[in-house]
Amino acid sequence: MRPPITPLAPRKSQYGIDPALVKTRVCELPGMTSVMLKELFPDLPEVIYPGAEGVAAVRRATEKALEKIDMSRIKPEHSVNILASHHGFTLLGGEPYAEMLKTIKDVLEARTGCKNIRLRAGVGLRFRETEEYIKRYGLDEYFQGKAIGVAPVDQGIPIETEIGVLYGIKKIYDADWIVHAHNSDVREVHFHRQVDRAVKPFGMSYARIETRSTYHQNLGPRAANFTARAIFDSPFVQSKFAFASFLTVAPNGIIGVDADDDLYALNDRVTQIGCRYYGKMMTLFGEIDECIAALDFPCPVVYVFSAGVIYANFAGANTDLYDLETPLPAYTWYTEAFYGKAGRPLLEEIPPVNPAIKMCVHNYAWTGYPSAFFSEHIPTVVVGREQAELFNRDPQNLTYMKHAVVAEDTRSAMEFAYKVTGTRKVVIFDGAMGGINVSEPLAELLLRKAPAVSRRVDEELLPKWLRQRGVTPR
Amino acid sequence: MKVVNLLAVVDGEKCRGCKTCERICPVLAIKVESRVAVVDAERCRGCANCEQRCPDLAITMVEREKPLLVKVDVEAVDYDRIVDICRRAKLNPEQLICYCTATRAEEAAAAILQGARTPEEVSYLTGARTGCKVECIQPILRLLEAAGIKPEPPGGGWQWYGRTVTVWEIPEEVKRKYASRGFYFDEDIKILDRVAAAPLQGRSDS
Repeated sequence: MRPPITPLAPRKSQYGIDPALVKTRVCELPGMTSVMLKELFPDLPEVIYPGAEGVAAVRRATEKALEKIDMSRIKPEHSVNILASHHGFTLLGGEPYAEMLKTIKDVLEARTGCKNIRLRAGVGLRFRETEEYIKRYGLDEYFQGKAIGVAPVDQGIPIETEIGVLYGIKKIYDADWIVHAHNSDVREVHFHRQVDRAVKPFGMSYARIETRSTYHQNLGPRAANFTARAIFDSPFVQSKFAFASFLTVAPNGIIGVDADDDLYALNDRVTQIGCRYYGKMMTLFGEIDECIAALDFPCPVVYVFSAGVIYANFAGANTDLYDLETPLPAYTWYTEAFYGKAGRPLLEEIPPVNPAIKMCVHNYAWTGYPSAFFSEHIPTVVVGREQAELFNRDPQNLTYMKHAVVAEDTRSAMEFAYKVTGTRKVVIFDGAMGGINVSEPLAELLLRKAPAVSRRVDEELLPKWLRQRGVTPR
Repeated sequence: MKVVNLLAVVDGEKCRGCKTCERICPVLAIKVESRVAVVDAERCRGCANCEQRCPDLAITMVEREKPLLVKVDVEAVDYDRIVDICRRAKLNPEQLICYCTATRAEEAAAAILQGARTPEEVSYLTGARTGCKVECIQPILRLLEAAGIKPEPPGGGWQWYGRTVTVWEIPEEVKRKYASRGFYFDEDIKILDRVAAAPLQGRSDS
């Protein structure tokens, strides 16, 4: 068995504990190993990052992708907002995304003569998160002081759409042109269901609270992402949209950069990648019969990831998240809302949280996303009193620790989990690059199940998923 | 219901009176007076919006010596009236409208029946919209509208701008136009209608 892959180091952030308090990573414990994702699915694409060239490969791919973009409408006297989102900075250490942003600026300047190029970086529910990334990756200097984080509570502007007025963040749109700089990583499949994934930030990280609440409360689990399409298609946004540039991502790493001035054409390509490659990983995760899930990555509980699959999606891996005939996965905010006062779902067909997760060991994860649903439904051990106290101080997680217990250290947390659950299968959500850190028994299971999963996705599921989204298979 | 364990505290030396905090506080608990932000400690719901957006990093969240329990007594209101408002808003009385504070539609409806006339008052009384501050403005606006109330956003504030579309209001031509692109509008309406009409479980929250 291979040794574990060294995970990303803990990060200093106001949303997480002091990195010095993270004494042990779960993958360092006895019995842990790793499996390269190409061993599981040999048809996964080749990656440009991680690789020997480092982020230089991302720069080159961005320059190449932008060659086909017509920038003639952007004049030297114009202003351009490059729009970014927090999640890109959590992918493979964040440097690839930062490099793509820097390259877009350089190419724009060189080709248009425009000097007034700003970076506007949107967030999820941690309003200063991109401020932290702007400093970390030197983007404030690179953009000559014109790089800011924006939040959904900042001043808004009304946007007329074909479904009525929705609201965007004013600073997102305060330039002559906008460039949508994003990534194809699937992340919240439970929310967007791989429908218009490439468009989503227009209804989310670029949007005001009214719009985001529309998405999560007004439209329903499979119609939600229409908010993004409605805003993007509005005459106002279309009058400013220059082009999109995406890091294209597969579970095993960055596979390239894709740019287009037709966002829906790019979206169809993103849909193919998401369904084909991530669909296989998610389906394989659904084959896990029992396990301990270990969280060990610098981002909120739901977003820690393993082989490109976030913990929130693993919690729903007992259902097919890509199948749009399934209205409610085991976890979405709609599902969470639909549990009544007795703690049972209001509708019988709402599936339970993935029963394969016998226990969660929360070794290291951040606050800043409402996560009590997870500790309420999955037995959870949090490592360290400091981490427990951090959650108790988070307005979004005031009841997270009501349902969790605290262990002094990683080793004792895992020993407790082994004893109580009786399983030795462990999946570690530590964002290991190119592979997946797991315990040996789980590695064996994944390697055994992967070939049949691959065939099933290729022959049965993928055609259905693409058909449901109106995307022609390549 | 929310246990408010934090309180915003302003550093008068750093504050420049820009009013960002005043414009975004979901319960109108902070106001700039004589060019310095002042917190109404009794009113503050510890959401940290001001701390997170202050451009001068002049606000910190400190632990309260005595946490406040914020809760509207649903039992004190005729439950049939709560059910009526919730159903009009197409919500089940027991469904959560705020994921951070686990506030259910019935509690927000009870707050409205006890006199809340704005989202700010609903938040002040229930704690809803004082966690993430993002996701629950629409159901609060829907409940107010269902009770026949049309609130105005706070003057000059950025707290909220307006109610937006619900899935029941999506025009038929829009549904037809995008029917092949994975948007299941009518199917989601069926699910949401069934949730709204689902039997109540009726046990008190712990």
